Amino acid sequence: MRTATIVLVAYFSCVILGSVWRLIPWIHDAVPDLGALTAAYLGLTARRNIAPAVGGSVMLGYLVDLISGAPPGLIALVLGLTCVIARAVQQRISAFVALVAGILAMFVRGIYHVPSAAITLELRHLAVVVVATGVIGPIVWRIFRRIDAAYARTHRERDAALEGLAP
Amino acid sequence: MTLRRRLVDWCFAGLLVLLPALVLKASLARGTPSGLDTALLRITAPLEAGVSWVVEGIGGVWNRYVALVGVESENRELRDDNDKLRKQLAATTRKAFDVEALEDLAVVKRRTPADTLGARVIGAPLSPQFKVLRIRIDRGDRDVAPGMPVISGTGPVGRVDKVYGDYADVTLMSDVSSSIEVLIPRTGGRGMLTGLGRPDSYACTIGWLEKQINPTAKVEVGDEIVTSGLGASFPPGLVVGKISKVSRDDGMFQRVEVEPSVDVSRVRAVEVLLAPPPPPDPDAKTKKRSEPAFGGRPL
Repeated sequence: MRTATIVLVAYFSCVILGSVWRLIPWIHDAVPDLGALTAAYLGLTARRNIAPAVGGSVMLGYLVDLISGAPPGLIALVLGLTCVIARAVQQRISAFVALVAGILAMFVRGIYHVPSAAITLELRHLAVVVVATGVIGPIVWRIFRRIDAAYARTHRERDAALEGLAP
Repeated sequence: MTLRRRLVDWCFAGLLVLLPALVLKASLARGTPSGLDTALLRITAPLEAGVSWVVEGIGGVWNRYVALVGVESENRELRDDNDKLRKQLAATTRKAFDVEALEDLAVVKRRTPADTLGARVIGAPLSPQFKVLRIRIDRGDRDVAPGMPVISGTGPVGRVDKVYGDYADVTLMSDVSSSIEVLIPRTGGRGMLTGLGRPDSYACTIGWLEKQINPTAKVEVGDEIVTSGLGASFPPGLVVGKISKVSRDDGMFQRVEVEPSVDVSRVRAVEVLLAPPPPPDPDAKTKKRSEPAFGGRPL
């Protein structure tokens, strides 16, 4: 239930972000990677089982695929891998998460021969996305921690969630 | 958590990661959205449309009603720019019009076998029917004299009437006191063109139009009329106008109305022919007519 709530909130955020971001002048390209942030959060805060976190990440990726016009499965695969990597490395820096997700996306596009822009453009885009995600990440994770706190079964879990400690 | 359960969990996670990989491969091979994609898009599309509508509505309200800082000053600047540009455009148009008129006059000056003097039209009193009664030029008694013919690029305009100081009034061809000897090239007929003095048009008339070359030839509406060069005033061959109406034909003479070729209301510059008209001859009744300043001699 917690994972589903986070995935739904992340999906709504992606929809709102897609509508709002293009109205802001001078930062059209710098769209924060909410999907990667969510997948990383799910991976970092997965309790005992990693499978629900990966499932939630894949589901969110699939929905983002549909609203972004990417080939279905592309972002789902990237977010699934991001979730697993975040779980493995336990690194809580949002910019790092965006960097990993960006590199994974380039890697997956390369493997599947998905058409992409020139490498210089890709790197420039990745750089601005990393910066934007680094700025927005703490806010997004704070919201997710609130959700975690709402689903906490004990006071200890609630306090740990609000303080950002992995369960 | 036992090792077995952990292995199952990781295997399940691996399968979940493998699933989008297969979906991606299938979607790239297929090239079109699957049924599941379409169904999900149908479900999520209203949500996206609703969010976009709300966000764009808020953005529109912001842009149209709130974020108007500087619009007033920008509007004022644009109005000022607009005024300046309109003035520049008017001045440029006026200059272009003048240049066009002066070019016409230059052509006339080259064609005219006489000394001419350019003059700018500085005034044109109008009749109640908005017809130009006479024009005023910027040449005074040091340059021109009463009776001197005045022409424009499209034909004769009239004669200098009164001269005072640095200005002179020109009586138009359409004035009742004006008279010009003319000829119809098609028939060879000659006559004296006089103004009708109508308040609402520049029409002239030829009261007694001779049938010079071919007595049976009749003039028709639309025939061109040119100056004959007789009468020692206008040089020959200047297009005066066209016949607009044939009002009488008694066999030997015809009476016609003429629409002048010069639109006096648009004349901005003229040429004054400096050759003076012949002085009045006291022995005109006993002597033969004096030689004209322009044109061929009468037979």
